[in-house]
Amino acid sequence: MSDLISIFIGMALINNFILTKFLGLCPFFGVSKKLNAAISMGLAVMVVMLAASLVTWVIYYQILLVYEIEYMQIVIYILVIASLVQIIEMAIKRTNIQLYNALGIYLPLITTNCAVLGVTFINTQEGFGLVEALVAALGAGFGFTLVLGMMSGIRERLELADVPESFRGIPVAFLVAMILGLAFLGFGGIV
Amino acid sequence: MIDGLTLIIIVILTLVGLGCGIAIFIFNRILPEESETLKATAKIAEVLPGANCGACGQPGCFAYAQALAADPESFKDQPCKIALNDDQCVADLENVLGMELDAGTPVKAVVHCVGKSEILFNYKGVGTCKSAAQLSGGYKKCAFGCIGLGDCLRACPYDAYTIDEERNVAIVDWDKCVGCGLCVPECPHGLIELVPNDTAQFLGCSYTTLLPIPGRERCEQACIKCRKCVRADEEGRVTWNDERILPNIPSVAVPESVTECPPQVIIKTGK
Repeated sequence: MSDLISIFIGMALINNFILTKFLGLCPFFGVSKKLNAAISMGLAVMVVMLAASLVTWVIYYQILLVYEIEYMQIVIYILVIASLVQIIEMAIKRTNIQLYNALGIYLPLITTNCAVLGVTFINTQEGFGLVEALVAALGAGFGFTLVLGMMSGIRERLELADVPESFRGIPVAFLVAMILGLAFLGFGGIV
Repeated sequence: MIDGLTLIIIVILTLVGLGCGIAIFIFNRILPEESETLKATAKIAEVLPGANCGACGQPGCFAYAQALAADPESFKDQPCKIALNDDQCVADLENVLGMELDAGTPVKAVVHCVGKSEILFNYKGVGTCKSAAQLSGGYKKCAFGCIGLGDCLRACPYDAYTIDEERNVAIVDWDKCVGCGLCVPECPHGLIELVPNDTAQFLGCSYTTLLPIPGRERCEQACIKCRKCVRADEEGRVTWNDERILPNIPSVAVPESVTECPPQVIIKTGK
């Protein structure tokens, strides 16, 4: 159990995907303008991560390892992730069109989101079991959502703040990202 | 020819792909039906050109379709000029929207410069017209003409522009131009104008000052303000614009003026 907790915390905070591993930076700036959209994006990525971890774990240990064709994992993982994103996109489009508009191009772009591919690769590399892999995916998704939520919360306030003209918009967001990254350095060494 | 391992890989890839496809199909059935507005939007999006050029003001064709589905009347404020150029597309859109579209006259872009101005100095800055224009109006002798660094070319989603290497001037291919107008604000010298697509000739010069007289000192093919085009046209269709110190060339054909122009700066369209 403590193993699972340390995996979760390790993936969520210490090796945070956005701020420590620099994965998934595209939605980090693209959808972090509004808190609602950011949280939804984080949840969508988390669902894709969970499902992708489950499916790729099964494929890796039941098919790729058996036939010793591990080198095919990139192609197959991308195939799986792409279809999962298709399903998620379909679901969001039919249930909540406002959310679909808010996420915009970043929703289909989860397909090429390196955070999702990254978590499946880390699962394979670390030799996680199925439960561990799912916990790792949950942790990674949680960390992703957390940082996206923090960033969007800050950026919502930045809209009202008195920022020097040349720093308004994206430049000050980069500065905020830098300070966030420094803050997350503090988690190093917890586990 | 294919060894066992390759065959296994092919089979596995096919099976995984098939599995993914079946999963998508199943979810397609399970998930609730698309709402009526979304269905209408999808229908509109289908007949739109799908170029995602953004000339209508919406971020893409799907967003445009959503706006049209919510309010078909918004076509009047934000017409899709690409669709208007295509009769089939207009018919389809009218069918889907259930209203008559005022097609208007399709327009095309022209560049009011023939680019015969010589190069004044060697410009080695950022390779855009906008930055070159900030340095004494460009690197050519004529500070009004086409700079030729292709800001319009980069703005055009339809590849209608080419840069003539010899003269360093932007040329519009009317077969490709759809009149979306995305290039108009890009030109720092304001040389690009949208004209009706039946325009017969246009003025290939924007030399809007008298000094130094004649304009030829700056460009061998510049308007020399002789007003011969105005005199040649007996029906008074060509007029003189005192403010710009250039003739107003109408869209109807005035062959006399074209042939009479000494620097031959009135150009027939499509040339």
